[in-house]
Amino acid sequence: MSVRAIAPYDFPSSSRQELYGDDQLVHVLWEGNMMFCSAATFRAPREMSWGDFKAQMVDPWAASDPDYDPRCPGGWRVDGVEVSPRPDQTLGGLGVGHKSLITFRI
Amino acid sequence: MPKLSMKQRYSVLTRDLDWEPSYVDEEELFPHATFEGIKIHDWSKWEDPFRLTVDSYYKYQAEKDRRLYAVLDSFAQSQGHLSLSDASYLNAMKLFLQGVTPLEYQAHRHFAYLGRHLKGGGPRFAAICQSIDELRHAQTEIHTLSGYNKHYSGFHGFSRMHDRVWYLSVPKSFFDDAVSAGPFEFLTAISFSFEYLLTNLLFVPFMSGASFNGDLPTMTFGFSAQSDESRHMTLGLESIKFMLEQDEGNVPIVQDWIDKWFWRSYRVTALVASMMDYQLPRRVMSWKEAFELYFEQQMLEGLFPDLSYYGINPPRHVQQAVDEKDLLSHQVYWTLFSFGFAAGFTTSIPHDDHLEWLSANYPDTFDNLYRPQWEKARRIREGGGRFFFQGLPQLCQTCQIPMIFTEPGSPTVIAQRWSEHRGEKFNFCSDGCKWIFDREPEKYVQAWMPVHQIYQGNCGGPTVPEVLAWYGLEEGDGGEYEGSVDQRNWQHWHEAQLSEVASR
Repeated sequence: MSVRAIAPYDFPSSSRQELYGDDQLVHVLWEGNMMFCSAATFRAPREMSWGDFKAQMVDPWAASDPDYDPRCPGGWRVDGVEVSPRPDQTLGGLGVGHKSLITFRI
Repeated sequence: MPKLSMKQRYSVLTRDLDWEPSYVDEEELFPHATFEGIKIHDWSKWEDPFRLTVDSYYKYQAEKDRRLYAVLDSFAQSQGHLSLSDASYLNAMKLFLQGVTPLEYQAHRHFAYLGRHLKGGGPRFAAICQSIDELRHAQTEIHTLSGYNKHYSGFHGFSRMHDRVWYLSVPKSFFDDAVSAGPFEFLTAISFSFEYLLTNLLFVPFMSGASFNGDLPTMTFGFSAQSDESRHMTLGLESIKFMLEQDEGNVPIVQDWIDKWFWRSYRVTALVASMMDYQLPRRVMSWKEAFELYFEQQMLEGLFPDLSYYGINPPRHVQQAVDEKDLLSHQVYWTLFSFGFAAGFTTSIPHDDHLEWLSANYPDTFDNLYRPQWEKARRIREGGGRFFFQGLPQLCQTCQIPMIFTEPGSPTVIAQRWSEHRGEKFNFCSDGCKWIFDREPEKYVQAWMPVHQIYQGNCGGPTVPEVLAWYGLEEGDGGEYEGSVDQRNWQHWHEAQLSEVASR
């Protein structure tokens, strides 16, 4: 179905990837930890290495929970697909797209 | 000249103003009346339950205003704010002023539009009365709560906050969705789903909270609005029945709108749920109890069996709302607490007696799911910290609430839904929000998502202090209540009052 309107109705998305240049929005969810009410959203370059992404974005956010140990996260998934990320892989190379969801468990 | 009877007066002053166009055709005069597909064969079948005329309307409203302004004056003169249950009670009123009052103004504008664009004289007049009501509500709410602005933080700049602050995009985008629909969908959205189905879970909890917590001005405002609200509810039900009776082809269209707008309205009530269970120092009833009484009993068991006569079913996704009643307020208040650094009200860890109340009212969920969060937050506080979510949340593209809701039947698993539209991924908190997006993706791709806008650089700058400055938030507006400006002032004023009494 689509919108019933009084005139042609066609507008671009307000969150489309091109508005972020070479970057994209990435969601990260710590599964099973209820201290975090939801996944977090980051703006990260598509070419950013996994090592940098985890150290500069995921770790400081996850440390909101004082029990977080950066060595412990595992069971990584990208949009539901299991991955074993190496630090030098890029986000793009891992299959992370605009508004993708990365999940982990501890 | 003989005096007209009431019935004649009513007819002369309302229906008699419904002229037949002579030099333009009807299509040109009412260009928005048909594109939604609703067919109306006889507008004169519209029943006015109130038979109100302009002169009696103004007379009645003026009397109510006089009573309200007398209460406001005496409350201000007697320093009535000091007899509130606690300064933290006002967090509920800050949420009301920032989140609800601007919707009254939006409703005022859009009922004026209905007063122009509906084809029948009866509904046009009802819409004009409601338009004036909504303007009066916006004005009197602002006036009533302005009395607190002198003494407490968070009341200034509510209108700017409404347009900019992340959690206020929930009610704002809800209403933007409604006013950008056609006139019949707006009636189903606001008059029926918002004001009839859920009114006792939206407006009334704030007013009963006021009466339980010593807020005489807001309570008086509530009474002054009550008779208007019952008129609005009647308009909501009347407009649904009118559409359903006029043409069988209207039934599936109206059903679709009820399905959409029940879920949209219900998601907005999430903010009310957390207010009822967490923000009132003296609590009226739990969200769960209110939901069972006002929604399950009165609407699902009362109204919908009547509507089935017209072929209308209970709203799609309603079962999820029922299943969430033990979870909703806890999930939402924890979110407000977690992002409290970016709010126009303060939050805090519930005290022991409050935790006990939550356990008693939510025996199946509170102790095993939510108490541990508060205990951990308390341990962090004892170590000199304060738990905050140090980042920005993932938002639902439809309701714009952070994606905090859990899978049906699995209260520790955050639900994730998504759709693709023109190669772009869009995320949703629930089946209801995904279903609404999938019906009209062209509409929701335009959503002004606060987190996405911050990352595009449209909200003052990339850092939290820059965003807060752009929101118009000042020191003391948000963050932790313990040790806040409001709490310190409150203690200071009460100590001063006590020492004054002692020295007499």
